Amino acid sequence: MQNKLLVSLVLCLMIVAACSGICLAAASPYEVTPYDQLSFDLAHARVGVMTGSTHETLMKTSFPTADLHSYDSTMDAVAALKAGHVDAVVTVYPTALNVAKHNPDLQLLPDVLELQDTAIAVNKENTELLEQINAVLAQLEQDGTLEDMVRRWMKDDLSPYEQVELDLPQEGQPLRVAVDATREPFCFKDADGNVAGLDGELARRIALALGRPVKFSDMKFSALIAALQSNKADVIISMMNATDERRKSVNFSSTYYKQRTVILVRAEDAGGGAFSFSDFWSNVSDSFYNNIIFEHRYLLIIDGLKVTLLITALSCIAGTLLGALICLMRMSKKKGLKRFAQACISVLRGLPVLVLLMFIYYVVFAEVDIDPVLVAVVAFGLNFAAYVSEMFRAAILSVDRGQREAGIAGGFTPGQTFFYIVLPQAVRQVLPVYKGELISLAKMTSVVGYIAVEDLTKVSDLIRSRTFDAFFPLLATAVLYLLISWLLLLLLEGLERKTDPQRQARKRLRRSLQDQEQSA
Amino acid sequence: MIRTEHLSKSYGDLAVLKDVNTEIRRGEVVSIIGPSGTGKSTFLRCLNLLEKPSGGCIFFKDVNLLAKGAAISRVRQKMGMVFQSFNLYAHLTVLENLTLGPQKLLGQSRAEAEQKAFALLRLVGMAEKAHSYPDELSGGQKQRAAIARCLAMEPEVILFDEPTSALDPTMVSEVLAVIRRLAKEGMTMLIVTHEMEFARNISTRVFYMDEGVIYEEGTPEQIFDNPEKEKTRAFINRIRSVHYHIGSPDYDLYAMNAEIEAFCDRHLLARNTCADVLSLAEEVLLLQRDFSSIDLTLHYSEKTGELDLLCAAAGAPAGGEAQDDIGWKLIKSRCADSQYSYEDGKNILWLKIR
Repeated sequence: MQNKLLVSLVLCLMIVAACSGICLAAASPYEVTPYDQLSFDLAHARVGVMTGSTHETLMKTSFPTADLHSYDSTMDAVAALKAGHVDAVVTVYPTALNVAKHNPDLQLLPDVLELQDTAIAVNKENTELLEQINAVLAQLEQDGTLEDMVRRWMKDDLSPYEQVELDLPQEGQPLRVAVDATREPFCFKDADGNVAGLDGELARRIALALGRPVKFSDMKFSALIAALQSNKADVIISMMNATDERRKSVNFSSTYYKQRTVILVRAEDAGGGAFSFSDFWSNVSDSFYNNIIFEHRYLLIIDGLKVTLLITALSCIAGTLLGALICLMRMSKKKGLKRFAQACISVLRGLPVLVLLMFIYYVVFAEVDIDPVLVAVVAFGLNFAAYVSEMFRAAILSVDRGQREAGIAGGFTPGQTFFYIVLPQAVRQVLPVYKGELISLAKMTSVVGYIAVEDLTKVSDLIRSRTFDAFFPLLATAVLYLLISWLLLLLLEGLERKTDPQRQARKRLRRSLQDQEQSA
Repeated sequence: MIRTEHLSKSYGDLAVLKDVNTEIRRGEVVSIIGPSGTGKSTFLRCLNLLEKPSGGCIFFKDVNLLAKGAAISRVRQKMGMVFQSFNLYAHLTVLENLTLGPQKLLGQSRAEAEQKAFALLRLVGMAEKAHSYPDELSGGQKQRAAIARCLAMEPEVILFDEPTSALDPTMVSEVLAVIRRLAKEGMTMLIVTHEMEFARNISTRVFYMDEGVIYEEGTPEQIFDNPEKEKTRAFINRIRSVHYHIGSPDYDLYAMNAEIEAFCDRHLLARNTCADVLSLAEEVLLLQRDFSSIDLTLHYSEKTGELDLLCAAAGAPAGGEAQDDIGWKLIKSRCADSQYSYEDGKNILWLKIR
């Protein structure tokens, strides 16, 4: 925590020198630097890259001796660089430029490792759309719009971006664009939560030319191609490079941007300057402002919180009901039902919930246009049901056999015995464990970002990708998850108290003793 | 009211009940006694179908309980059961235990059920504890509450499965008092119990169960004072025995003595009594001429304190001259009573030691 604050301090101190602290490419920007002439020893360093990116492939093939760390997003790799977990980050020029702009303690090296073509990915079966897109791209290139877009979005200072208003049609089949909106300045979320950047504008221009509305889906980079293949999206416009490997799965349009792979390192003379409290506090308050207040980011956080709560609540209800059903089957005398229930439980408990979630989204509901929140509820509901059913079974079995015998001997049918005598006692047994399982569920929902749902965790990712500051977004997220857990705990403990007759008895006893004392 | 025909129950290969035929009429109080594991509780639990019989029929007021479609839950409402481990509903107060059945099954209103419940609780002396939970009560209180719970359903017969076996002696009497009162008021009851005095006092009939059947039955006087069959007698008088077989003159005297000593130790017989028994046994064996097959049995009645030694020796009958033997005289002087007979080729000598 101290490190992050110190880094913010350095940022504050050097904010004035920010503009002059950037090292731009000195040599010809469109020539690959020979690998034996690099200004940084990549082959023997700890290097951070994004999972599934072409840079990851480059590092593996050309610098196999390097200690490679793959992160979910470039922004996570940069955070690692600042924290000292890696010594260099290999990424594309626009991202590196953006990062260096915001972080004077990081330096963009002039070396160029690779040249690539950034293009639009389209499903292999959608040849008509591909032709349409290529036609639009050709037009944009010809009339200079593309060049103007590059100028407007690829700025080297911190002044606000020039946005262009585009009047898109509201009706018609929307062009579904999959993006990873954490890659400024190509695709990122602006203050209003819309996808902005060069790719954002390009997507809108293409949709406009095709006469269709546009619909963005934000997900992790490594999930983009899968989304395209399972027909959850029509195109990927997310600073994606056309590689041979990827061409095996998807088709690419013509190139709309010539991409360079560059290296980011920590600046040599980062740090220094006396520590003063006023600077420290102004740092903290700046950081807080940047991350929470600026561009109404706290609204994003609250929206994320709402989504998390919704998924938790619905999964809990669905899971509990399904779990009760599976428990009934598991305890039935019919062998068939019992075996089936046992199989369900084994499978659902044996899969990590993230794998289950992605399986349901990409395989089970492939080709189906379904709200990912619903998919999340299904996946988490199934997982919750498996655990809950075993807990119910244990609770029911733990009720003394004599209770059931007394009920049966007293003339109750087996159903009535279960409902009036066994169940109330079983509920008492199960609540303590159920509590823990529910809180676990609330936290498990943090992985829904993989299927493009904007929950609390994903929102913190988004904020981090804009501010490159890990502390406040993560702190806010952590605090909110703690708050959720605490509220759930309160709720269930209240329920526990209501269903525990002992507490009622003790309360009565205490009250009667108090009455006695008062009357004495 | 309850009739069983050829009732049998097996758990896998183990046949606990073999062939139980009986009839119980209204107003009878039947005690069921017998050694452990002979199916007393199993028989009781078969009557209200807590255990499913392997064979035979059970009739309750001429309704075959084992027929398909028999309304068993209805029948059970008329047959109350009191368990050894009380089995009060742990999540309800005593009052709620009593009112649950009547409200849900007999359709009584809450006020009605509570009124009747309070009357019953007063009957068993538990009115003060109406709002307590079962785990706040002592064993005797729990069992009395359980009996009241049974009564709340207005049953026609109550089955008691060892109601006092889990209670210490101080609490046993309070429960027995309640049961006695019920008997006086004419309730039909079947009681599996180990309390012999109690069974003798309140029963109209006693069943002695052994070997998977009703071995012997009769009035309390018949069973307790004049049991007909050997096993019944052994049970009633709490007779314990040890048996030693001798097959040759080279028998192991020390082994035999050790068994007799162990038996005396087990039953807390005095040292000199033990010494007497040992020397008597030795003397008896000295009298023998034919060692081909001798069975020595020592009987001790825990109830009366009587100690008997029985010696059955195969061979030619001992003649009159044996009576004059010094050894024989010594033996007779040591015993309270003796008897000799010759049956089935065996010389049978019975000595009453005290």
